[in-house]
Amino acid sequence: MQLSFVGFAWRNVWRRRLRTALTLCGIGMGIGAFVALVGFSRSFEHAWLQMYESAGTDLAVVQKTFLNTSVDQSVGTTLRQIPQIAIAAPMIFNMMAVTPEVNTLVYGWRANTFEFSALNILQGRRFRDGQQEAMLGELLAGSLNKKVGDTIDLQGSSFTVVGIYRSNSALESGAIILPLDEMQNLSGMTGKVSAFHLQLKPAPPGISPEQWRQQAENAVEKQFPGLRAIPAAERAANNQLVVLAHAAAWGTSLIALLVAALGIANTMAMSVFERTKEIGVLRAMGWSRLRVMLLILMEAAALGAAGGATGMLLGWAALHVLATLPQTASIVSTALPFMTFLDGLLMAVLVGVLAGSVPAWRGARLSPVEALRHE
Amino acid sequence: MSSASPTIGTSPWILEVRDVKKSYENGTIEALRGVSLGIAQGDFLAITGASGSGKSTLLHLLGGLDTPTEGTVLFRGQPLGKSQNGVASIDLDTYRATSAGFIFQSFHLLPSLNALENVQVPMLGTGSHPHNREERARALLIELGLEHRLRQFPTQLSAGERQRVAIARSLVNEPQVLLADEPTGNLDSVNSAKILEILAQVQQRHGTTLIMVTHDLSIAATAHRHVAMRDGRICN
Repeated sequence: MQLSFVGFAWRNVWRRRLRTALTLCGIGMGIGAFVALVGFSRSFEHAWLQMYESAGTDLAVVQKTFLNTSVDQSVGTTLRQIPQIAIAAPMIFNMMAVTPEVNTLVYGWRANTFEFSALNILQGRRFRDGQQEAMLGELLAGSLNKKVGDTIDLQGSSFTVVGIYRSNSALESGAIILPLDEMQNLSGMTGKVSAFHLQLKPAPPGISPEQWRQQAENAVEKQFPGLRAIPAAERAANNQLVVLAHAAAWGTSLIALLVAALGIANTMAMSVFERTKEIGVLRAMGWSRLRVMLLILMEAAALGAAGGATGMLLGWAALHVLATLPQTASIVSTALPFMTFLDGLLMAVLVGVLAGSVPAWRGARLSPVEALRHE
Repeated sequence: MSSASPTIGTSPWILEVRDVKKSYENGTIEALRGVSLGIAQGDFLAITGASGSGKSTLLHLLGGLDTPTEGTVLFRGQPLGKSQNGVASIDLDTYRATSAGFIFQSFHLLPSLNALENVQVPMLGTGSHPHNREERARALLIELGLEHRLRQFPTQLSAGERQRVAIARSLVNEPQVLLADEPTGNLDSVNSAKILEILAQVQQRHGTTLIMVTHDLSIAATAHRHVAMRDGRICN
């Protein structure tokens, strides 16, 4: 039976099975929270991007001020006169309660907007402007058990479901789309919209699409100093809901990771204390301080990695549970970006190494004679 | 026994201590009060003395586990631990890893590893090939009569078997000096005799210098040389 350095480290970790298992649970919770929350916020961002891309949105025009999503609707007339712009579609989005338990995204669109091109109407038809009509994404329609002809109540107003659609984006398939004017009335935003989604004219010969888009951005911002014209990808990343989701996810995850790090530090400190005499034996056998330190760090990293793997499973499972709950299905996607897994694993190992560094340093500093005398 | 030779860098001994003193707690406890001793290659030296006489402290200095407060410990004429008079020193970790092997009274085997793995521990991280490590450990355990106990964990071994595993572990890096601290202290008379026989065989077969600390004069009598200590000094 061959013994490797890594194998030796893992044996030391696994010696105290209960303590290791409890530590793994702690790390697993921390990394699980990271994977679930950051994974959720990233998939949320990805869903926005997917929505813009599938609709063919080139630029979005929004207020420069963070969290202020109100743009005067009259801006649209001027926008349409800018030479680079083909279409300027006003839109509103908001979160609304459809039942006491279920909140969902609600969009306000014009009936003739280009954004319908990304939707596949499965039942019924498109709504008409100025009518109390609604279209439901198939995911939401399924969870609310609604079909064409039924009604749905929003903020005290009743809307007839005239269409059920399918979308590639979880943000749309779990959402409701209302006529823009009806949505303005519901949101108290008469004459206001959240944003304008722009489609640009094809770039003329000699000008690259990027230059053309940049010209459009400059023209909008010159015309309206209080507004920003931003590419779809940036809009997905900087959308207020996404920014808040990222901030909440990272904040919560960091607290969870800190707790996990304290768990590892405690476990490793206990382990080093209990194994003081063993460290003395290793030093007597010629192990250098560095090698002892590496062993303890490797044990901490192994704890972190195993905890990270546990956490990824927990986070993945949590996302799948959230994706099935009516309360969250409309904004949670189970398509977890690979980077989130990679980040989770690296973070777990890093947390392990950082948390193990002080016990490792203390273990390595032990004098062989003092360590051998330790009782 | 011999008086110390005067020049650092030359020594007829494999191990030599020159006027070594060791004190603890800011000099309030003097464990060694000026010890000089030369040990020849292939020698079997027993160090005896009552508890607190300084015999274990001397063994620790000879094994590079500790450094003297004053004086010098030389291995093949080179100072251990820190350079002296321009003569390059031998790093203590390197000395313990390549030239010294330790056997303890309480065996100190690692409980999570079986016998074969325990013997490989000193070679971990040295760059040796895992296969070679295993073969070397296996050969030593077989040489010590443990061929049927290779995969047993320390708790599954008798005290005598555990000490034999510890001896194999001390030999795995082919040390030139073997240091044993009361190696039979936790064994019954039958196992004690067997371990002493093994140590004597190892010392003869491998040409290893064996230094053994014991309080048992009958055991010390089996050594080639005997140094008695009292109050931090050699007294014979």
